[in-house]
Amino acid sequence: MKNYFRFLSLLCASLGLLSIANAQTPLDGLMMPKGEICIALQYDQVSWDRYWEGSTTRVNQNIGTFTKQMGMPMIVGGITDKLNVILSLPYVKTEASAGQLTGVQGIQDFGLSLKALLLEKSIGKGKLTGFSNLSFSMPASNYLSDYMPFSLGFGANELGIRAIGKYELDKGPYLRASYSYLHRGVTEAERDFYYAGQNAYYTAKMDVPNAFLGQVTLGSWMFKKKLRVEASLTAIKSTSGDDIRVYSMPQPTNKVDFDRVEGFAQYYFKTNGGFGLIASYQKAISGRNMGQFSGYGLGITYQFKAF
Amino acid sequence: MKKYNYSILLLVMFAFLGSSCVEDLPTKYEFTGYQFSNLDANAGQWKLVLHTSNEQIPLPTPAAPGSAELLKELADAKEMQNKATSAQLEAVSYWTNNPLLRWNEIALELATKYNLIPAPNPDGSYPVPDPANPSKYPKFPYSHPPYTSRMLAYLSVAQYDGLIMAWHYKYKFKRQASYQLDPQIKSAYENNGLFSYPSDGAVVATASRDILTAMFPLEKEFLAQKAQEHLESLLVAGINVASDVNAGKLIGAEVAKTALARASTDGMKNAQTTRVKSDSIKNAAKIRFGWAWENQETPQRTVGLVPLFSKVRLWNVPNVEAIRPGPPPAPGSPVFEESAKELKQYANNLTTNQRRIANFWNDGLNTYTPPGHWNRFAKEEVVANKLNPVRTARVFAYLNMAIVDAGIGCWDAKYYYHYPRPIQTIPGFKTILGTPNFPAYTSGHASFSGAAAEVMAHFFPANASQFRTWAEEAAMSRVYGGIHYQFDADAGLTQGRQAASFAITKAKLDGVD
Repeated sequence: MKNYFRFLSLLCASLGLLSIANAQTPLDGLMMPKGEICIALQYDQVSWDRYWEGSTTRVNQNIGTFTKQMGMPMIVGGITDKLNVILSLPYVKTEASAGQLTGVQGIQDFGLSLKALLLEKSIGKGKLTGFSNLSFSMPASNYLSDYMPFSLGFGANELGIRAIGKYELDKGPYLRASYSYLHRGVTEAERDFYYAGQNAYYTAKMDVPNAFLGQVTLGSWMFKKKLRVEASLTAIKSTSGDDIRVYSMPQPTNKVDFDRVEGFAQYYFKTNGGFGLIASYQKAISGRNMGQFSGYGLGITYQFKAF
Repeated sequence: MKKYNYSILLLVMFAFLGSSCVEDLPTKYEFTGYQFSNLDANAGQWKLVLHTSNEQIPLPTPAAPGSAELLKELADAKEMQNKATSAQLEAVSYWTNNPLLRWNEIALELATKYNLIPAPNPDGSYPVPDPANPSKYPKFPYSHPPYTSRMLAYLSVAQYDGLIMAWHYKYKFKRQASYQLDPQIKSAYENNGLFSYPSDGAVVATASRDILTAMFPLEKEFLAQKAQEHLESLLVAGINVASDVNAGKLIGAEVAKTALARASTDGMKNAQTTRVKSDSIKNAAKIRFGWAWENQETPQRTVGLVPLFSKVRLWNVPNVEAIRPGPPPAPGSPVFEESAKELKQYANNLTTNQRRIANFWNDGLNTYTPPGHWNRFAKEEVVANKLNPVRTARVFAYLNMAIVDAGIGCWDAKYYYHYPRPIQTIPGFKTILGTPNFPAYTSGHASFSGAAAEVMAHFFPANASQFRTWAEEAAMSRVYGGIHYQFDADAGLTQGRQAASFAITKAKLDGVD
């Protein structure tokens, strides 16, 4: 079996008002064989100059253009041919081009994910595969989540469970779909009183809404499986949460929804390991309590047989 | 082997989901009715704030025990208690036997709800809330710190005067509570033995409803529903009969009227000025001192927040000059440069604890503001000390009079000195807190907190040092946050303490603290 691998999905950089940045690799439809390790370094940058306050568009000249950059080292390893482990630790930097509020930078969330191949079946001139994934992430520094939009992340643990299905023609094109449930815990603010959804809360704990994530991807292998290109549509919907109040600051309790289109390409210099390059572009097309972001990503990967 | 892997995955997954259910987060202060530490039998003689006599609002003599009239009321109350729905019982436990605390909490929640700064119009101008058309954006009121401090003072003073009168009549008529008159009626709270005519709960419900309705006109229905629920709970709880409640309502409505009459002429409606007036205030400072504060937002807010709040009628401080500090150091002077250097150092090396302090005390937009923060402390202190309702009202009245007086004095200094904020004087300076739309000197947080801490120290001397530490922390929080100089904080604390001293002097006349 060829070592077709991939560790960073286009979803890596879901950046904006709320970061849902890590543990997204689990979404792709590829497995690393036993003993293979892949190291990746990914850089993403997204920016916005408008945001959705609730579902209406707001421009705030005291923010100007908001930019979020992320550098993320990542390791993917094949425990068995059918079970992979993925580790990630992003470094995030935020800033605004206008206004007086200072940006922040630092280590965001540590991500750990297990992906299992559950189904592999030849059908017609192609192959159907099914995966399941379990991911966990937790803040890896004491960054303040209650400093949005600048905060590095939402500051809570997240457990994700996913189902992924893929049908790939032997000639190269494939269709992939996935559905995820993201269960988030509470984050700790540095104030013990806040207002959310018509209620005053007398606690520093803020409930970060859970979310569903759906994704459909059309992709294809090209040039003897040295190049892979994909186009995706992703939708995230929070299951609860409140809207940003009029001309007010966002906060971790907000209901964050968005739909996003992405383009993605990965080039492998060799077909059985070694270096690879990733390039991606993403853009939000609709949303709620979220920056109207667009941005790109670049990555370099290196794969080798470890055991 | 494969099967084994997947079952581990599933197990971990369910274990996590099962253990991570989010707890219910508190939306109110959790406390229950309690045994009062004492009943203050002489509270009817305490000095009223807005009224001249404790019989200024006449009450009918209540029906005597054993009278047909009272027996009928007792029978009705008993029936209400027996037929109480679960919602009514829930209300009884929510309101407690010191319901002023709940009304104060509701006031803070409304202050928070309405504490949103107007967004710019498309042409770059800013709209202003219109009390004559409160539902038009931006909704009236914009419950900023000066507005909230004033609102809390009227609420607390009306409650206090009403309860002093209620206490006077309670001990004049000495009518026993329904649970004492009829053994089949059970008190939902501790049997405090407090006389029940007039109902102190009804005084508080009615006065609070009326004051808050005037302060937050769009909440009229919400407040009426709250008051209705509260009044009904007094009967269900087994502590009042209908005539107790009616007498309480009479007092509550009248004290609110007196308080609102004062409010309507206290100068608040002129506090937010026109551009022309605002510019003339700024130019006066420029001529006098050589500097002037300018709002740094885009688009610029050309009028600061309530430039004439300084003209609002004071409660205990004789005039704003009595607590006006000397001038701040001129920008560019050695003292100023020292302070600016310190701000840059904080910005570059803020410790975790300093950041926590800055955020804990931020109390900015979309919060209950620093006056609200101190009211919350007072509420917790009242419960910890098991104060009775009139003693509770006393704490809040003097606290909130001192706080608003400090605020009025602070706003006088702000616009008299018109001192620029750090983001205006220090090139390229960035902060972790939003800089408010008014001049720097003196710090509002420091002034409000200096006043509040002293009043709290007077009423709760055992915790005096804790309150003063909090005030100093609140003052420093603005320096850590990069929006005030050290000298703003220092002068603000002093100013607040001075404002409090006038309130405390008056409180001492009763000789009961």
